[in-house]
Amino acid sequence: MPQNDKALLLRLKGHGVEFVIIGGVCGVLHGVSLVTFDLDVCCRFSIQNWKRIEAAVKDLHPYHRLVANKLPLELTDELASRLKSLYLQTDLGKLDCLSEVSGIGNYEMALQRSVTHTTSYGEFRMLDIDALILAKEAIGRERDLAAVKQLRAIKEKMDGAAPDSPQK
Amino acid sequence: MIDEALIEQLNRGYVCPPDAGPAWRAACEYGFDMSLVEDALTKSPEERLEEHQRALDMMLLIRDDIEHYAPK
Repeated sequence: MPQNDKALLLRLKGHGVEFVIIGGVCGVLHGVSLVTFDLDVCCRFSIQNWKRIEAAVKDLHPYHRLVANKLPLELTDELASRLKSLYLQTDLGKLDCLSEVSGIGNYEMALQRSVTHTTSYGEFRMLDIDALILAKEAIGRERDLAAVKQLRAIKEKMDGAAPDSPQK
Repeated sequence: MIDEALIEQLNRGYVCPPDAGPAWRAACEYGFDMSLVEDALTKSPEERLEEHQRALDMMLLIRDDIEHYAPK
């Protein structure tokens, strides 16, 4: 099954989904060298926004990848009002849409802690490096903590000379 | 001129720069090849995503091959 993050991002943007890039792809955009196998985004928690996500992936045979029987994505108003996250498999890969980010909070909080990622195909919001470090520390899995080591190194380099560097 | 010093340099791989800060040093000591991060930081985020996509495609291809050729 392919994973095309750029195409998924373009789909979301093209359908007006309100989202912030989080997770491993956000790390990659900041310079982390680790490969990630899904696209995680934090989305505004509203029925309208869930419906936009559904429209964005409608023709990609989306299904809820973490439930039995590959339940197809069909958002009724009732289901959409009760959802807190969507873990989808689509023809363009895995797309996880979360209404909250560990260590940060909901979409509004994530948006406040985000920066603009400008590309030749548009602008996207992604967690700033400090927020991403917080989020990954809050999750606390080994691979997230490993990514934090790179993120801290990148932050240190971006911030310039570290004050407690033994060579400074 | 190929001397022992050059051979040693060629064989040892990435060496944490002497002026690296503590976080960079910690990442090196953890075992990361930080030359990959250094390389990524010379690129734009868009280029990083493209490079990640190429790496991901290769890994998925290898994973498919392993599944395909695994003894049944």
